[in-house]
Amino acid sequence: MPTISIFKSDFEALLSDRKRTSVPLEQLEEWLMLVKGELKGHNPETGELRIELQDSNRPDLWCCEGIARQVRIKQRGKLSAYPFLKKKPKAEHKLLVAPGMDRVRPYVAACTARGYRVTEEGLAQLIQTQEKLADIFGHKRKTVSIGLYQLAKIRFPVTYDLVKPDQAKFTPLGMETVMTLSEILMVHPKGLEHGHILEGQDRLPLLRDATHQALSFPPIINSREVGEVLVGDEDLFVEVTGTDQSMVVLTLNILAANLADRGAVIEPIEVRYPYKTPLGKSVVTPQDLGKPRTLTVETIEQALGQPLGAKAVQKALEVYGYAVSVGKGTVKAKLPPYRQDLMHAMDVVEDVAISRGYGTFAPEMPAQFTVGGLSRIEQLSDRSRELLVGLGYQEIISNILGSPEDYRSRMRLDGTDWGRMVEVGNVMSLSFSCLRQWMIPSLLRVETASSRAFYPHRIFEAGEVAIPDASQELGSRTDTVLGALSAHATAHFSEIHSSLDVLFYHLDRSYTLVPLAHPSFLEGRAGGIMVDGVRVGVIGELHPEVLERWQIAVPAVAFEVNLSNFTERA
Amino acid sequence: MDIPSLIDSLHPLEIKVLTAFGATPGSVLETEQLAAATALEPSQLSMAIEWLLAKSLLVVDKETVTPIVSLTPVGQEYYEKQAPIERVLAAAREVTTNGQRLTIQDLQAKEGLDPSDVSKAVGRLKKEGVLLIVQGGCIESTGRASQTAETVRTLLRQLHGESRELQSFQESERQVIQDYAIKRGNAKEPFRVDDRVTRSFKLSPTGVTAAEHLATQGIAEEVSQLSPELLKDGSWRTKRFRKYTISLRAPRIGTGKKHPYREFLDTVKTKLVSMGFREMRGTLVETEFWNMDALFMPQFHPARDIHDVYFVKEPTHATKIAEPFLSRVTKAHQDGGRTGSTGWGYRFDGERAKRLVLRSQGTAVSARTLASSPAVPGKFFSIARCFRYDQVDATHATDFFQVEGIVLGHDINFRTLLGLLNLFAREVAQAKEVKFLPAYFPFTEPSVEMHVRHPRLGWMELGGAGLFRPEVTLPLGVTVPVIAWGLGLDRMAMVALGIHDIRELFTDNLELIRTTKGLF
Repeated sequence: MPTISIFKSDFEALLSDRKRTSVPLEQLEEWLMLVKGELKGHNPETGELRIELQDSNRPDLWCCEGIARQVRIKQRGKLSAYPFLKKKPKAEHKLLVAPGMDRVRPYVAACTARGYRVTEEGLAQLIQTQEKLADIFGHKRKTVSIGLYQLAKIRFPVTYDLVKPDQAKFTPLGMETVMTLSEILMVHPKGLEHGHILEGQDRLPLLRDATHQALSFPPIINSREVGEVLVGDEDLFVEVTGTDQSMVVLTLNILAANLADRGAVIEPIEVRYPYKTPLGKSVVTPQDLGKPRTLTVETIEQALGQPLGAKAVQKALEVYGYAVSVGKGTVKAKLPPYRQDLMHAMDVVEDVAISRGYGTFAPEMPAQFTVGGLSRIEQLSDRSRELLVGLGYQEIISNILGSPEDYRSRMRLDGTDWGRMVEVGNVMSLSFSCLRQWMIPSLLRVETASSRAFYPHRIFEAGEVAIPDASQELGSRTDTVLGALSAHATAHFSEIHSSLDVLFYHLDRSYTLVPLAHPSFLEGRAGGIMVDGVRVGVIGELHPEVLERWQIAVPAVAFEVNLSNFTERA
Repeated sequence: MDIPSLIDSLHPLEIKVLTAFGATPGSVLETEQLAAATALEPSQLSMAIEWLLAKSLLVVDKETVTPIVSLTPVGQEYYEKQAPIERVLAAAREVTTNGQRLTIQDLQAKEGLDPSDVSKAVGRLKKEGVLLIVQGGCIESTGRASQTAETVRTLLRQLHGESRELQSFQESERQVIQDYAIKRGNAKEPFRVDDRVTRSFKLSPTGVTAAEHLATQGIAEEVSQLSPELLKDGSWRTKRFRKYTISLRAPRIGTGKKHPYREFLDTVKTKLVSMGFREMRGTLVETEFWNMDALFMPQFHPARDIHDVYFVKEPTHATKIAEPFLSRVTKAHQDGGRTGSTGWGYRFDGERAKRLVLRSQGTAVSARTLASSPAVPGKFFSIARCFRYDQVDATHATDFFQVEGIVLGHDINFRTLLGLLNLFAREVAQAKEVKFLPAYFPFTEPSVEMHVRHPRLGWMELGGAGLFRPEVTLPLGVTVPVIAWGLGLDRMAMVALGIHDIRELFTDNLELIRTTKGLF
């Protein structure tokens, strides 16, 4: 879900190549519906707009050029084809891949872009696009990474080589001195950040030109000599490397379309592999990988709940950038070259709806009759809650994710079966590192914080707990339990017992209490609550040491009943 | 006010005072007489008198001021150790007899007396001709007796242990008392004179009438509490029930009450049931399979990172994933299987699918329901606790409720999806105006975000929804279209409950929970 920053004047310039008109913000917000974008901020002084793009399958939209393009197509009624997709690469425009690269970082795509003089705004967009694509779409450069270079300094053919870490050296961006690849991995911030991608490789990728000049060490860092694009540069070399060929090519297609939209002439490059790839051994990039997909108009109409006809569908898709031809009751639709997100007919359906505007579809009530209702456990829980309220208890709600300290140590349960819990492996904070296995600690949490609230304190919670259980597929059960606690100067076992008694009477269950040695309660003042020979809960006076550990200064009595045990038997 | 209601409003203390005038309501009674007649404590009596005066039932007949003389602590001390004037006199006589010389400074040092006391005593004695100041500042006795010293001695004796009216003393004594009584600026004196105010009261004409009424109705005993005994023997008929001051604040009591946020969720629950939704339940711990894979979120999806989900420490994996779902979902991810999709085109990791996580989205519950051959048409909802791997702050809680669900049916399509959302807007948010925006969720296509204009809160996002992708429904065995919807109610609840920090929804502050008003 990237949030990007664009400049309003840049956006306006990209919308029209003739006269630039100022776009009102309301108009912009309406257009943003076409790209699932939301305006998050606007600085009227600088003209900077902050836009969040929702669609993680549409990396082409994570830039000013992409948003402007989607609007422009709608205004002009059709996407004008990109000529570079039909061009043959110049004979010298070759990129040669070294043998063995298939085991390191197998794919590369590249092109040149001439005749666009890089402006400040344009450069900011280029860098932002490069970062967002590599970071989010390219999984922090693992799948896809991008390099931009000054074309004038490069002699073709370029080679995508594998070298020993100490064999090659160049001055990386951000450094003053020449470094070997292994030095870059050990010292350079980008090396430290992304070096793990190449872990275990004894030879590392290196892009070099015909003069053996290093262009970059993908996916880590560019050469400072060649790989730094500056405002005013006119001719660029663009490359993408990665582990997924279609993503690599798509990324290059997006970059090429963006530069073309800014006026650059894109020239393709032929990549030659010494091994087989899904696109062959010789791959010209950029390349339109889209395949037309035929779908019936009926499919679209049914999904949208609206008769449209083939013509209307064609129109809607064309103004959204598709290439469409109409057959008998069918449309054949092909995505533009900068998109690759058509997995299912439903993806086309959504584009028809977005293109026509969600506001053009009249809402209609689903007419089919269904019977509503609550689960048995929820009914039982609600009934118990009503009863506890009637008994004068205040309901509370607590986090389920908490700490072993609260759920176990303070309850004197360390090393006991009572203290077993579902614990988190990737702990962020100890305060949120395990699921509660019982309810009473949640009640004590409130009691600890409420010594200044007037007494008596009678509180309860009905909610879920997770109980480790090796017999379950998931290794634990989620049970719904009810816990109640009374705390005041004269809190006494018989008081909480009376509450429990009323509860069970009205839940229509008979129970008995049997003495229970439970570390959280005073010995001789705790019981197991037994129903049909099964223990469904505990009751007792909390152990003074427990109260001390919770810093509670009044006696407290409590019970806890596992309601899930009830329904399972019912 | 008429007499009966006047009488009803009387406090028992007031009645006691009124009835003290007895058979002769015209008589004049002094405070002491009233005290004797009513047997009330002085404080109670004066309270009752003030009340009756304020109600004009009683009037002051006469007010007499009597000065009363008593000993101060200093006087008590003089009684025990003689007054300075006597000690000065005795010292002077002694030196005169044995021919020694004594200056005023010597006197101060010898007797340990205060300089001001000494100079006052010497001045007085000199004036009386009892002392002489001779050359060198020495004092000598003339041998005459001091009237003042004797009077002081007598007074100290007489007033020791009892106070007396000033008028009971002779003129000369009164003069000494005035000279040696504490005054403003001089508290170090043996005597004090206080004014004792004695008032006598008589009843006002209304008071007389009231007293007569009280006399004729008999002295009905006033009670504050109706008791079973009074009811049982019928004696309540002869009692008066004191009227309360009902405008006072009520004392606080503890309440049994539902939690306001839970009450809010209960309301939502009831609305959903009334719209024909059936509740679904799930588990707090889920597999990545049901939490994400079944929802067609690719295993390389950025939101499936180690930094986005809580993983379970032990056991790390579920024992199995039910078939045929595992194989079908695997195919859907890899190449679409039979869903009509191209799939994500990667190698699905079946082991990863078994990885246990803390449920991160309520949609996991919907996925489980889809796989359980649900009724068609069918509507389902869940209010599921979910966990987000995030730093906790005012807008992010690790633990939160997600309200969401599904609708299955042959008539489900994009327009009925919008219709359902309209219904939610009206029923859940009482909103008449709705906006639908294109949205993105990994498991729905088309996807919608709904914004509503809440009657009080203005435009706000109410929820997200969409039609489940066939890659989700078909592998789980559902062949009809399915709406997936979710409502974001936390913000609405927070504004409605007047809180600004999401953590307060689960606050541990009992006072806050007790005093937050619920919604209805």
